Amino acid sequence: MLTSTEPALWTEKYRPKSLGEIIDQEEIVSRLEEFVKRAAMPHCLFAGPPGTGKTTAALCLARDLFGQRFQDVFMELNASDERGIDVVRTTVKEFARMASLSSVPFKILVLDEADNMTSDAQGALRRTMEKYSDTCRFVLCCNYSGRIIEPIQSRCALFRFTPLPDERIVENLHRIAKNEGLKFTETGLKSVVEVAEGDLRKAINTLQAASSMSKGITEESVYQVVGRAKPTDVHDMLNHAMKGDFIKAREELRHLLVKYGLSGSEIVRQIHSEIFRLAITEKKRIELIEAVGETDFRLVQGGDEELQLSALLAKLAANI
Amino acid sequence: MVCELTVEPWTLKYRPRTSKEVAGNKTAVEKLREWIDSWVEGPPNKRSVLLYGPAGVGKTSISEALASERGWDLVEINASDKRSGEILSKIAGLASSQATLFSKGRLILLDEVDGINLREDQGAITTILAIIKNTQYPMILTANDPWDPKTRPLREACLQIELKRIGIRDGLPLLKTILAKEEIRTSDDALKYIIDKDRGDIRSILNDIQVLSSKAKTLTMDDVTLLSGRDRTESIFEVLRVIFNSRTVAAARRALSISDVDQEMLFQWIFENTPYQIPNPHELEQAISVLADADMYFARIKKTQSWHLLSYALDLMTAGVAIAKQSPTSGWVPMRFPQRISSMSRTRGSRDLRKRIAGAIGEKTHVSVRRAQQLYFPLIRFEHEHSPERFQQIASWLKAKDELDEMFSEEFS
Repeated sequence: MLTSTEPALWTEKYRPKSLGEIIDQEEIVSRLEEFVKRAAMPHCLFAGPPGTGKTTAALCLARDLFGQRFQDVFMELNASDERGIDVVRTTVKEFARMASLSSVPFKILVLDEADNMTSDAQGALRRTMEKYSDTCRFVLCCNYSGRIIEPIQSRCALFRFTPLPDERIVENLHRIAKNEGLKFTETGLKSVVEVAEGDLRKAINTLQAASSMSKGITEESVYQVVGRAKPTDVHDMLNHAMKGDFIKAREELRHLLVKYGLSGSEIVRQIHSEIFRLAITEKKRIELIEAVGETDFRLVQGGDEELQLSALLAKLAANI
Repeated sequence: MVCELTVEPWTLKYRPRTSKEVAGNKTAVEKLREWIDSWVEGPPNKRSVLLYGPAGVGKTSISEALASERGWDLVEINASDKRSGEILSKIAGLASSQATLFSKGRLILLDEVDGINLREDQGAITTILAIIKNTQYPMILTANDPWDPKTRPLREACLQIELKRIGIRDGLPLLKTILAKEEIRTSDDALKYIIDKDRGDIRSILNDIQVLSSKAKTLTMDDVTLLSGRDRTESIFEVLRVIFNSRTVAAARRALSISDVDQEMLFQWIFENTPYQIPNPHELEQAISVLADADMYFARIKKTQSWHLLSYALDLMTAGVAIAKQSPTSGWVPMRFPQRISSMSRTRGSRDLRKRIAGAIGEKTHVSVRRAQQLYFPLIRFEHEHSPERFQQIASWLKAKDELDEMFSEEFS
């Protein structure tokens, strides 16, 4: 059987291949196109929320610059997976210091999720960037530029990616829907846009999931997808705790950590956003925010996820 | 969950009611019975017995069985409770010298004489010696360590009988009978393993098998090897019992010294059992909060190797939890095996599997393993459920067909 090499995930299938295909972020795209024209660029820092095109822009830039030779002179690392200082010392350095082929002026190294690097690793990276700047350009992608150490920031041209406007997302969804021959309603697409909150990847993912249902993309199917994608268990967990049932709440917590593979800080974030929806007094709300903040802080300090979140749940359970 | 509160600990449920029911230690039991029977013709030469042996071999149980099979009262005094010689002489004296024609027989049990704190129980030994000499009723003293110099005068005044740890030969039939009554399926290997692991401490053995078999009504080799990581001189259950029942900081801290159980392991045991042992929400909040504080110390120690911080963490996780508990637990609440430890070994495989799948996704979609799980697992789950054809396409594109099939078959089982 012939297996199609076409990407089965639409976020990949419809990822732009060249800068010209990128919709939105015009300001950034035009500056990057200028780099291509002059075949010269500085180190870059792409900052912005998820799904706004940072990695895509980096990939397109490299492709437009290098064309066919793209594979040889381009490297992509994900700092969350390989964030240790060792990676910077070895892999990054190895790649950076080897002189590029004569026909291209420099190589490009993209470091995704760079804000997840430890500050030690960032420090090591800084020296590497400096030392090999004539052979290699770095593009660092991150959600928060503030988490990148000052010396690196000052060596990079900063590009701020912003959430996509709703019209642009609709435009994109229409194009995909047409191409895939999808059954959809306008209100269905509208709800996709609504849940995406300017995150194009999330929009496309939601579209793909909703379209797998026989009724096509309707408000209802989108709602169903979203209900599934965001575990309601966080809500359940809080409910158990608020009812004073710590044991049940802890069970839910373990479920979230083990089965859904959610990280502690992700759960903290979700609890934080739930606080504003809870039917409690304003005074309690503030107390709760304080407690959640304390938990988050402890997680950053290396506390155990299950333990620290349990302490938060026990606090909730005692405050019936 | 409610019904578990009424579960009787097997250590009580299966206590021997007669000396014949005592498993093992045949010679010792026989010797004891002979000595007690000799009282029929008036007080024998040695009016007391020093029954010695390690913890959990049945010193108290055997004494109880001997009293109950004769319809006697058992007057039990625990010497390691802080008692002045004065109180001791009052109780023991009363029990030993006021025989009446119509009163029932009596057996006096002075438990844990080696636990007497000589500095605080001034005169205790002298008082006991006096009682031994004049007692009108048979009197049994128990001790873990018969060679403790401070109890030497007592040793000389008593008939000495040693109780040994239970071995496979006596232990195996006993455990098989109990498990048959409880309708729990098991294997000889599992039981032998546990007898060996608990070093013939029958109390620990019973506690362990009760907890390990409580979920599935089976006790397999897999279940018992969960215990294997721990090296110990005292059952973990004893340590937990001490922690959850201590009223003072000093008493709770002592829990650590009766055991060489791994501290991190113990921490998990305490954390698992705290909500069951401390049901009051306010006390629970306090207890979990000190555990969370202890956890921060552990994290700091790991990060900076500041081992001097360890003592605070240990104090908090033992005494901190003990003092948080104000109201006593109602009824007997069984200790639970930490889910963290059992699920670690059980889910390690499936976590690795998920990581591999997420890695394949991440490579194709330019995101990290962690983000791949968050961003794409929901979509793939959805496709799996609603559009098998598309799911197949995704699986083959990711070249992770086997892995995905395995993950979903796990999720649905």
